[in-house]
Amino acid sequence: MFVPLGASVAASYGMPNLPLVTVPHPIGGLEPKLVRAKAERIVDQVFMALTTDPMAPAAVRGPADEAVTAPDDLDAFQVWAMTEGWGDGLPVLPPTAERVARILGGAAADTLVAELQPRRGFATLRAIAINAALAGAGPEHLPVIVAAIRALADPAFNLKAVQTTTHPCTPLVIVNGPIARRLGVSGGANALGNGHRANAVIGRSVRLVCQNIGGAIPGQTDRATQGHPGKFTYCLAENEAESPWEPLHVERGFAREDSCVTVCGSEGPHNVNDHGSINAEGLVRAISGTLATTGSNNMYSGGEPLMLIGPEHAATIAGSGWSKADLKRAVWERAKVRLDRWGPETRARFVPIDPERFRDKPLDHEVHVSHRPEDLMVVVAGGPGKHSAVIPTFGHTKSVTVRVSESG
Amino acid sequence: MRVLTPFGAAAGDTRPLARRRPSLAGLRIGILDNSKPNAIALLEQVAEGLVARAEGARIVRWQKPGASLPATIIDEVAAGADVVLTASAD
Repeated sequence: MFVPLGASVAASYGMPNLPLVTVPHPIGGLEPKLVRAKAERIVDQVFMALTTDPMAPAAVRGPADEAVTAPDDLDAFQVWAMTEGWGDGLPVLPPTAERVARILGGAAADTLVAELQPRRGFATLRAIAINAALAGAGPEHLPVIVAAIRALADPAFNLKAVQTTTHPCTPLVIVNGPIARRLGVSGGANALGNGHRANAVIGRSVRLVCQNIGGAIPGQTDRATQGHPGKFTYCLAENEAESPWEPLHVERGFAREDSCVTVCGSEGPHNVNDHGSINAEGLVRAISGTLATTGSNNMYSGGEPLMLIGPEHAATIAGSGWSKADLKRAVWERAKVRLDRWGPETRARFVPIDPERFRDKPLDHEVHVSHRPEDLMVVVAGGPGKHSAVIPTFGHTKSVTVRVSESG
Repeated sequence: MRVLTPFGAAAGDTRPLARRRPSLAGLRIGILDNSKPNAIALLEQVAEGLVARAEGARIVRWQKPGASLPATIIDEVAAGADVVLTASAD
């Protein structure tokens, strides 16, 4: 089950012939004695793998950019593209040389933007543009897509783990600054839903790059147990016009007039319904309760869970005189889970992963949702209504913000 | 119609694997536990089985703080063991 991932990771370290011995899934969630019995059955194979020289590796090179012949009929093309492993299941547009050239404009096609894990695929401008063509993006979207890919390759993002984990996460692309307004990236009503072309095609292009160039192949090297719908596309702008606070990119040291992209290794949004509160103190209770839950990776892996605050909630919070930092501090203080809400095996598992929060703690100890208040992220987005969302992350991933380069 | 493939090239450099030893006798058999549930049960049982087949071999253990974190101790593992077992699964 995990063999394609094991082989892919070995190859990414330059060792495609690394011997692998397999044990039937699962390993976790079993009595240790059952796992020991499984182990007994592979000792001979492991012994052989350790004492017999492996085969020399076959020459492995990923397919270079090349033109191939596909069906002319658009419906037949869909079936063909999925068979070739190009698509995400929704219809894709044919990446003809003409369409790719139009997206690239005058940009230097061979420019290497990033090397993407786990495949160590070379995301050149040309390869990115081919995926943008599949996704239905236009040339105007390319700078945002490219910036997102550059951000994903930052080691802090931990792309290999985000791409291959069983956890339901995928890059969430947050766009700030003038380019969001110019391209029509929505941060307003239904921003994470349907109905916005820029949101749809930018997020989808990034996801197809992750799949096709990065090599996160669903059910093979992408081991997501269930995934989430944002793996088709997951992109929005911050609603800067209706935010009472400095936007995300300004908080991170960029100028308000800079155009920036932030990527997070994110779960889907979890709703925070609060139609009653008239001040920050009330709203914080609803937000922190939704954030601190027993099933969240952030509870034991740390990371930077995101509060996506609807503009009406933001106005209520700011109306109490609270800054973004005040909100983070207040939510952090309340967003806690008592240790005894987890089972004994799970508590024991968390200790080596996050000793700071779990080692030698009494059962009534309350664990904060992140290590520090400032790890919590706040972005204002959405339209009218009394809803916000919290978006947990994979945990072992840091969001990365980069400036969008529009010079090609 | 003619279309362009969306995969791009990939790094294809390979590095040679260490020569295997004909026997594990007297060797340090390393275990790199990735902190996944039962990883240590699996790896220890295999290592104990190897020790039973190799006179004078002994087990040396390391643990990563989390499966999704890089093994920053990899040089220490390489220096402290002659062969190493690790695993990836759930």
